Amino acid sequence: MVNSTEVVIRIEGVGQAFGEVGDPRRVVALESTSFEIARGELLCLIGPSGCGKSTLLNIIGGLATPTMGRVTIDGQPVRGPSPQKVAYVFQDNTLFPWRTVVDNVKLGMAFQGVPKAEHDDRAHESLKAVGLSEFAHHYPAQLSGGMRQRAQLARALGLRTEILLMDEPFAALDEQTRLLLGEDLSALLATTAKTIVFVTHSLVEAVFLADRVAVLTARPGKVKKIIDVDEGHPRKSTFMTSPKLSALRNELYELLHDEIRKTITLGEAEAST
Amino acid sequence: MTFPLRLRLLLIQLGVLLAVLATWYAATLPGGINHLLLPAPAPVFKDFGVLLTTGSIWPDLFVTVFEWIVAFAIAAVAGSVIGYLVSLTPYTVEVFDPLFAGLYSIPAILLFPLYLLFFGLGPASKIALGTTIAFFPIVLNTIAGLSCVDRAYITAARSMGANGLQLFWSVMLPAAFPVILTGARLGGVIAFLAILGGETISSLAGLGHRIVSLAENMDTEQMFANILFAVVLAVIINVTVSFAESRGKRWAH
Amino acid sequence: MGALNDRRPKRLKPGYARLLVIAGMLLVWEVGARFFADPLFASPPSAAFLALGGLFADPKIVHAIEITIFEMVAAFVMAVALGLSIGLAVGLQGFTKAAVMPIVLLLYTIPQATLLPLFVLSFGIGPEAKIAFGVSQSIFPVIITTVAGVANLRPALLTAARSMGASRLQIFSAIVFPHMIPSFFTGMRIAMTAVLLGVLLAELYVSTAGIGYYTRLFAQTFKPAELFALIAVLATIAVTLNELCRMAERHFSRWQYAGA
Repeated sequence: MVNSTEVVIRIEGVGQAFGEVGDPRRVVALESTSFEIARGELLCLIGPSGCGKSTLLNIIGGLATPTMGRVTIDGQPVRGPSPQKVAYVFQDNTLFPWRTVVDNVKLGMAFQGVPKAEHDDRAHESLKAVGLSEFAHHYPAQLSGGMRQRAQLARALGLRTEILLMDEPFAALDEQTRLLLGEDLSALLATTAKTIVFVTHSLVEAVFLADRVAVLTARPGKVKKIIDVDEGHPRKSTFMTSPKLSALRNELYELLHDEIRKTITLGEAEAST
Repeated sequence: MTFPLRLRLLLIQLGVLLAVLATWYAATLPGGINHLLLPAPAPVFKDFGVLLTTGSIWPDLFVTVFEWIVAFAIAAVAGSVIGYLVSLTPYTVEVFDPLFAGLYSIPAILLFPLYLLFFGLGPASKIALGTTIAFFPIVLNTIAGLSCVDRAYITAARSMGANGLQLFWSVMLPAAFPVILTGARLGGVIAFLAILGGETISSLAGLGHRIVSLAENMDTEQMFANILFAVVLAVIINVTVSFAESRGKRWAH
Repeated sequence: MGALNDRRPKRLKPGYARLLVIAGMLLVWEVGARFFADPLFASPPSAAFLALGGLFADPKIVHAIEITIFEMVAAFVMAVALGLSIGLAVGLQGFTKAAVMPIVLLLYTIPQATLLPLFVLSFGIGPEAKIAFGVSQSIFPVIITTVAGVANLRPALLTAARSMGASRLQIFSAIVFPHMIPSFFTGMRIAMTAVLLGVLLAELYVSTAGIGYYTRLFAQTFKPAELFALIAVLATIAVTLNELCRMAERHFSRWQYAGA
């Protein structure tokens, strides 16, 4: 929920390129991009494949260094991973398979530097928040895809960071699970005051979850337009079937259609060289 | 597998075993194979029983097992430490991994005469042989295990603030463990076989040496009984080592 | 982040680095053996290299090496031929497979070194014992991989061929044989490694003739340079044979029979 217009993340002229200027293999993933993210808002990044949205997310999180521009969080420039401020939920399952769910959550805390005495309580609190309390002592291999992503979310929540970065976390799941998890996520976020940047391919998911949706162009990516979704959290299932969501989804589609078309022709051009 | 099929298979295997024993017995009846080459089953099993009950075999057994454990311990430590050091950068992996793989293709038994010259006829030469042979699967698997850890795990850990030591102990080592364990199992098994080989070629004590002495004395009944003992020992070692390996790999289904 | 962004310092190509490492190791060995070791027990590589000449000058030693090579090749050929026949006979027939495989696996668990004295007792100290032992070591991998290679042959293929009137020979050459080639060559590679090990083990054991005589002689008369030279020659032979099999396996696995 956006409880203020206080800016927490500032993306200033961020660009990312691979290869030197003049190198025919040079790839410009992101062109000078600038926008701001307010405290407590959920911003979705959406765009065609290869538009650099995951790259942008990694730059915000400090896992990648931009070749141009910078990102600041709370006024401080981002120079590397900031585990105290930023937690990640990845698309690929990064739960450690050799540990149980609860041990995974605790390990994240150990990495961050949480005192051991607090691990137990915090871990169980996080697992309860995502509804996995009964599966605390299961191994990831014993869980379904949706449950694994919830476990990843629990691990990220256990770090109690103010910012959560989610890189297509539901991409590997079937649509029905996605919708349900989306609702659960929205309900969860109504009770916590986190700032979330959420990368997705899905138009419906973006509108359903976000306070604002940033549409990125085809490569080289930059922000084409940011759309407001004026709807309170928690988002109900009624919102899913509302004309308001459909209208916004259509607007997104119109913005994206040309970009997707461009990406495909780009790919064809690259393939033929 | 359905139950009747399983039963049928078991019966066939049992039948085969009995057929083998029967053939053995028949072959050694009067007019058959020379007892010096193939003794009759009955005295062999009797000698085997005696072996198990009396302590006559213990000193030699102890020597062999001792050589095996020491060789494996040294190989395990050396292999894992060197493997770890090599795995630190992709460049060192590219340089050293093929080197070790190439050395592995040389039959290590060829080094044994050198070890005999250098260490003498005692356990040291056997231990040296066992260590040399067990070293390679361990170092190769340690390199492979540590350098092939899924990047996603490392990225996730880094994003949560893991420092170098935490990254190694809590992420890379557990991730690499199954592969390293397989190398250890392989190394353990071939070290045991190599040590038996070394004892057979030249030794003062140990199971291999025991069998050779019995052969030289033409005491084939006892020899067969001892071979049977060595087989049982090898099976036990194989089973134990495989069991340890699968226990260690519990989570990686 | 991308190889194009790599600003690593220019590095030696790994192949050259490896040669450097080997040269370094030889240097350490040379210095160590020359200045720190008792010449009765260890010799520097230079001395071993020089001893090579003396080795090849002795016709008896050359003969022993030739016989060893002969034993290796003979044992390999026999093991492959026998193993292939047995493997095919067993693998293609469900009943014999279930019956014979347990025996094969049982025999495979016997630590081969323990049978060596028995082989020498039965066959004497000549090449026969070493060839026989080599075969006993290597026949099992060939049987096992041949059986495995035929195992996943879909019976539907055989039925289809038979329904079209194919003779046994035609079925074998057109369907069975191409299907099991990859596993067969894998088995061959494993068999070669086993033959080398078996023949060398037997040779070293029999210290009254063949290579084993000379290894024992050099060891007992404290001639590490000659011993090392001899071992180096045998090692080169072994690695060459191994490598030939490995190359054959790679070549023939390239046209893997997929989906049959």
